[in-house]
Amino acid sequence: MRIDGSKPGAFKDEAFDYVIVGSGAAGATAARMLSDTGRSVAVIEEGPAIDPKEFRNEIFPTFKRMFRDQGSQVARGRAFIPVIQGRCLGGSTVINSAIVWRLPDDVWQPWRDEHGLGDALPLAELHKNWDLIERELSVARTPPAVWGEFNRLMDVAKKKLGVSAEAIRRNVKDCQASARCLTGCPTSAKQSMLVTYLPYAEKKGATLITSAKAREILWEGDRAVGVAGAFESPGRPRFRARARKAVIVAASAIQTPGLLARSGVDSPHLGEHFQAHPGCAMTGIFPNKVVMWRGATQGYDADHHRQDGRFKIETIALQPEIVFARLPGAGRRWMRAMLETPNAAIWAVQMRAWAHGSVRERFFGTDIQFSLTPRDLVQLRRGLRFTAELFFAAGAKEVWPGIHGLPEKILPGQEWMLETAPADSRSYSMILSHLFGTARMSLRRSDGVVGPDFAVHGSKNLFVVDSSIFPTNTGVNPQHTIMGIAMLAARRISEARL
Amino acid sequence: MLNPRQRAVIDALLPAGVDPGLPGAFESGFDEFYADFERSALLPMRLSFKAALWASAWLSPMLICRLPPLSRLPREERERALEAMGKSRFYLVRQLLLLLKAVCSFHYGAHPQVRRTLGMTP
Repeated sequence: MRIDGSKPGAFKDEAFDYVIVGSGAAGATAARMLSDTGRSVAVIEEGPAIDPKEFRNEIFPTFKRMFRDQGSQVARGRAFIPVIQGRCLGGSTVINSAIVWRLPDDVWQPWRDEHGLGDALPLAELHKNWDLIERELSVARTPPAVWGEFNRLMDVAKKKLGVSAEAIRRNVKDCQASARCLTGCPTSAKQSMLVTYLPYAEKKGATLITSAKAREILWEGDRAVGVAGAFESPGRPRFRARARKAVIVAASAIQTPGLLARSGVDSPHLGEHFQAHPGCAMTGIFPNKVVMWRGATQGYDADHHRQDGRFKIETIALQPEIVFARLPGAGRRWMRAMLETPNAAIWAVQMRAWAHGSVRERFFGTDIQFSLTPRDLVQLRRGLRFTAELFFAAGAKEVWPGIHGLPEKILPGQEWMLETAPADSRSYSMILSHLFGTARMSLRRSDGVVGPDFAVHGSKNLFVVDSSIFPTNTGVNPQHTIMGIAMLAARRISEARL
Repeated sequence: MLNPRQRAVIDALLPAGVDPGLPGAFESGFDEFYADFERSALLPMRLSFKAALWASAWLSPMLICRLPPLSRLPREERERALEAMGKSRFYLVRQLLLLLKAVCSFHYGAHPQVRRTLGMTP
């Protein structure tokens, strides 16, 4: 059943066994698992439910309907960095590129050895979960037939330089190469939560409540007994979703700490330890047409320096609106640069930053603080140089770095310049799209917010299952890890005596 | 509604007559887009865009040692002034030009004629 909170007449007070806040990768996976138990499940989503037939390939209407703060959410620190999040049924899985990476062993080992979470997050069980998810979401490597030229060129670079790079594994079925993952897949080929686990849970009896903002957890003593919130319909009517068994928070590393803080959860770690993967893109100009608007949005990546450099390079197709904003010049020179974009490929450094930031609720909204460390800037410049090397190996005639303090165009043989770029994050255009750690899991209450059983320390029946519990960032695209862990958490919650 | 000085900024940023496939901002219907933007964009976005327009009109000429506003300068100097914002050593000035370009790109990059010129299905 679906309840649309943007229309008048939604419920005031309902009871369910499990109330899940958030419908993205974590919330939908928890809903999928818990709906199998035969108990009643409610999923509360702040954003609207949007039919894939209504997805548009223009950025501004898409930002307005499907992105948090209409795409204008930023982290403040040394520089302003946009923080990209979906705000619709299915969460960020609707507007990401469906990239599937299992959590690498070398990332999990410190979780076990330094954070003591080997039993809480056993890798063998996670692999079993990933096996299941990959079957259910049709995960496969992007086939050459849908690469498009901008992905194929990275394959050329890989073969020429002999580096570790490969077609990306994605949760996609019958991709039509429309390069529209970021504005919502119009053919539902992308197996986002909107078209997979949420309909599955709904069919099993779950209630999907959209345009409904969860404001606070309801308590009886130290036991969570529901969620109070407000619908988006005129007058913002309030609602209560009572939970007979458990409240499960899966609202993301940005929204989860705010919800917990508003609900009286008190921990010095709440909102702290915020980590992310800053992304920084460069443009390569090729002698022949590339036309990045045909092909799999992100079909190829190079993980050659994932461990020794903490970065990965990914192809990406961006809509012209986004491409134009970063082109050099103004007026006629800017427009002439636009005319070169059919020959452009955009590849981005995705960095596993060392930086820790914070997420706090303030009177003006959510305050995200994040600044790269000097170590991060060294890695970033190394990653940008490596990207330029890949571009030139693939046959690019020039690279447009888009970095303040460097020439607008770099020619073959000048890749070294990228490592001399300013050691100041204000010189770069970046985004943050993978977000972690603001309610981290720990064995002891003194070290984190959530215990190894996924329950918030010091409370009963309140669980957190999203990436805010991750003890560190992952260095790889996190959706698959989030889903594997949410599946594990949901199974444990369903087996717990509550 | 944009005032004449704001229109001069947008016109300098996306002038007409550069290429047959690329219309100028106002030929491509920027006024309609702006009306929608004013109606539906969040307040911080609208205020930031207004600040970017203001800085482009009043600050950018001074970066090339000319008196403001931008609208009193010849076309070449208007473009030079906007470019100077992008090269400014002050981060906020660069960010304001980036914001101006980003919002204008929301309109321009979605325009069917522009997309056709780039070889994209509109």
